[in-house]
Order: sequence, then structure tokens, then C-alpha cells
Amino acid sequence: MNIPTAHLLYLSAGLFALGVLGFMVRRNVIVVLMCVELMLNAANLAFLAASRQHALEGKPALQGPIFAIFVITVAAAEAAVGLALIIALYRLKQSAETDAAAEMKG
Amino acid sequence: MNAQSLLQMFDANALRAVAPMLALALGLVLVLLAGVFPLGRAVRSALVVAALVASAVLHANLLLGGETPGKVLAGTFEATSTTAMWGLVFVASTLFAWLYSVRYYDEDAPFKNEHDVLMLATPIGMMLMAGARDLIVFFIGLELLSIPLYALAAFRRDRARSVEAGLKYFLLGAFAAGFFLYGTALVYATTGSLSLDMLADPAQRAALGSPMALVGVALIAASVFFKVSVFPFHLWVPDVYEGAPTPVTALMATGTKAAGFAFLMSALVLLPASTASTVALIAVITMAAGNFGALAQTDVKRMLAYSGIAHAGTLLLGVAGAIHGDPSNGGAVQASLVYMTAYVATAAGAFGLLALLERDGGPTTLESLKGLAQRRPWVAAALTLFMLSLGGIPATGGFLGKYLVFSVAVRSELTGFAILGVLLSVVALGYYLRVIIAMYMQAPEHDANVPEPRPASAAATLASITCAALVLATGILPGWLLELT
Repeated sequence: MNIPTAHLLYLSAGLFALGVLGFMVRRNVIVVLMCVELMLNAANLAFLAASRQHALEGKPALQGPIFAIFVITVAAAEAAVGLALIIALYRLKQSAETDAAAEMKG
Repeated sequence: MNAQSLLQMFDANALRAVAPMLALALGLVLVLLAGVFPLGRAVRSALVVAALVASAVLHANLLLGGETPGKVLAGTFEATSTTAMWGLVFVASTLFAWLYSVRYYDEDAPFKNEHDVLMLATPIGMMLMAGARDLIVFFIGLELLSIPLYALAAFRRDRARSVEAGLKYFLLGAFAAGFFLYGTALVYATTGSLSLDMLADPAQRAALGSPMALVGVALIAASVFFKVSVFPFHLWVPDVYEGAPTPVTALMATGTKAAGFAFLMSALVLLPASTASTVALIAVITMAAGNFGALAQTDVKRMLAYSGIAHAGTLLLGVAGAIHGDPSNGGAVQASLVYMTAYVATAAGAFGLLALLERDGGPTTLESLKGLAQRRPWVAAALTLFMLSLGGIPATGGFLGKYLVFSVAVRSELTGFAILGVLLSVVALGYYLRVIIAMYMQAPEHDANVPEPRPASAAATLASITCAALVLATGILPGWLLELT
């Protein structure tokens, strides 16, 4: 079974678009964070598909998987800070909705 | 690649190139350890200053010490006199922000140690961004800069506005990171390369013209534009700058912007020459959005946030000039370096003085600045100097930077945009002068409760004097700076 690279890229584009859409319309900060993760993982999938595409003599190119590993690591650090921020927000406002963090305007 | 060839990459040359970052990383670990032992504030402060000074000295050594290492670590990182000069700008920006933060928080504020650790991490990220020749390295730098700033923006976690600033910055920053990654993935899918030097190759440049790669480049540009607060990605700036603790705002306003533009200057290979006028148009719109937004503000901190957007627009005009002309001619790089040096001193000083005034009580509105010249003549004088420099009045550093950037734009046949830019700078004087008028020509209302001035800390005084001296030195005697850049 060999899935063409183009199909994988279409899938990743779909996931990325879903992430962007979710980021725009969802109001719960935790769900928004999950949408960001979806965007990052869409990029990871595209990296892996592309690195298979650029294989030399049957060996997949290394940059793609390496980048994906870095992304996973950084995303973990980002999620740690993000969840801490959500806790701080919840402590102050007893809510994790984006509306709870809308004091400043203009 | 086997272990031996990995080791061979870390030769003396590579070590010299990354030494300024290693010094900061070492300092960071030591500050972290110092927090475990009851050593007190003096030791921690000494460690922070030592790490920053060591990094500055190592950068100066790269800048003045003859031959620079150039590309190291398999061509993924670069240390040239340009990146060394950027490095000095980053260190200065962090040092000023830190000096102003020393007495900014309450005496018993928790996690002051962690605050300093996070502050030391940001310049490492900036340096990685400026020296990156590979998009992986740039991404690591970007996140090393951003993640600590998310936490720092929300550092006063008992205050709703600070938490709100941190959360907004985090969500939009993570969103921008997603854009950057997906854009990079698309560029990689079409060209098979992540190295900026390989992408500059003529054969690859042709591949970069394909629709998929163009979308990728646009996504990457959007994420960097977000970081440096360029239209239409600037809407988060006023809220985040207002809500974050003011020393952190100073760091965000100066260091992040400098790092973003350092990368834009070195990543011009990605942008086709035909985009120059589009970028120039975005630049002028950004300046308009910043300047007209600032005119409507009564909170000075928020006003300076909008002013920062306008300054990003001006710098972007220089980038447009570099895209249009030959990126290898140093004019645009020099212009942005001079502009940023002056801007770091000016904006860090201005935000720092606001931090100082905030300690007297309450937010710093135009109302609260009335009669400041009588209450705190030195602060008023310094703030006047910074406002004049932000406005680009001759004999200040701000003028020199603006002059160089606009002349790059004119040389690159973007004259129309340059003229619009100059006109918008005149609009900007409207709100900078309002601050000066409030301080010198207006008396506080009779029923207003005028805060009793508290003495400034030695650190804040030192930072203010240094910033003011830098602004004047770049404005009156620009020779040394032009020589260095």
C-alpha cells in the first residue's frame, strides 16, 4: 500500500484548515489550545509526507522527521505554559472562556 | 551522520560563534540554582548582570576581533559582524528591561527568581533567530523567545489584566507558530530544503515561485509579521503591551521587534523581488494604523504600544527597499541596525520611565503626567528626550534611524511610499508632543490626587541615564554607530 504524497498533503491542509477554523470560532480556551495543536500536527504530517517525497535512493530525507520531533517537543513546552495561563485565568474569573479575558478594548 | 562527525562540527570556530549564547545559558542555569539556596537578591542580580555582560563582551569580540566565524554547525548558524551587532542590541534590550524590573514588583512578590531566569532565556532565542541559516534553528529561536514571554506577560497573576495579556499573547503567538510551521512544511515539500542558503540557490528560487511554495512563504511572512506587529497582525499589541508588567513590555517592544527584523533581513531570499511594492504598501498601512491609533489614546503605555506598531511599519519600509534592491548591499541592513539600536534605547527608556511612574500609583495616563516637570524634573526631561527621539526630531537617535530607512526606500525607487511615510511621521508628532505639553505646560486638576514621588531605584536610574546617553550619542555623534554596523 502506498499512499501518494499529494493525498497526504491534502489531508494535512484539511487538518490545518480545521485547526484555523476552530481557533476562530471556539470560545473555550482549552478547545482553542487543542485547535492550535491540530495546526501543529497538520504541519508535522506535511513534513513527514514531504520527507518521504524527497527520499534519496530509498532513504527518506532527514530534515522532515527531525523538524517534526522538534515541533512535538516545543509544542509540549508551549502547552505547559498555556495550561498554566488557563489555570491563572480560571482562578481569577472562575471561567475558561475567552470572554473572561476581554477586559481591555480599543 | 555518525558521532565523530557531530563532534567535529563543534570546533573552536563554532564554539566562538555560539559562545555568547552559551554564556547566557550558563548564567540562566546558575540563576536557577541560586534560587534553590537562600543566597538573597544581591547574588542573583550579580549573576544576571554577569551573564549579560559576558554575552555582550563575547559579541563585541566577534564584532571587533577581526575575522568572524561565518557559517558553522553544518551551515545552520551564522556569526558575522552583523549578527554580532544584533546580539549587542538584544543584550542591551534585555539588560534595560531587567534593570527596570528590579524594583518594579512588590518587595514580597513571589517567583522573582523565575522571572529573571525567563528574562535571560529570551535573548538566547533572539540570537538564534538573528543567526539562523536554517528554518529549524529559527523556529527553536522563535519559541525560545516566545514561550518565556508568554509566562512573563502574565507574571502578575493576581491581576486580571496581566493574565489577560499573557493569555492573548500566548494564543495568538501559538497560532502564528502554527502558521510558520505549516508554511515551512509547504516550502519544504516543494523545494526539499530548509536551509536559507540552499533556498537562495537560483534553481531553488525557481521552485519557490510555484503556487504551493508561495503560499508557504506567505504563511512564514505572516507569522513573522505577527511577531513584529505589522498590519493586519497588530491588533493584539495594545492589549498585551498594556496588560503586561511594564518592564516585560519594554522587552517585548524592543527585543522581539529587533529579532524579528534581524530574521526578515537575513531571510529576504525567500521573498521574490516582485513583492517589494506589496511589502511597502503593508508598511505604510502599518504606520497609518499605528499613528492614528495612538492619537486616540489617553493611556501613555497604550499610546506607546501603538507607536511601536508605527515604528515596525517604518522598519518594514526598509525591508521593502532591501527586497527591491540587491539584498547583499549593506545599506538596508545598516539602516535597520541603526534604527533598532536607537529604538531599543528610546523605547526601553520610555517604557522604563513609565514603570517608574507606575510605582507612584495608578496607571500612567496623560492626566497623571500633568505637572510632572515640577514634581520630577529629571524624569520629565528624560521622557521628553525619548518622545522627541520616537518622533524622529534631529539630534536624537530616532532621527538618524528614520533618515537612513527612508533613504533606503528612496534609493530603491519606493519614493512614493517614502513620502507617505514621512508625512505619517509628522502625524506621529501630534501625540508625542501631547505628552511633553502635559508634563511641562499643564497643571494637575485641583481635585486630582497627585501621587507622592517615590525615589527611583539605582538600577532604574542607571538604565535611564544609559538610554538617554545612547539616544543622544547616536543622534549627535552617529559616526561610531555607522562605523560599527
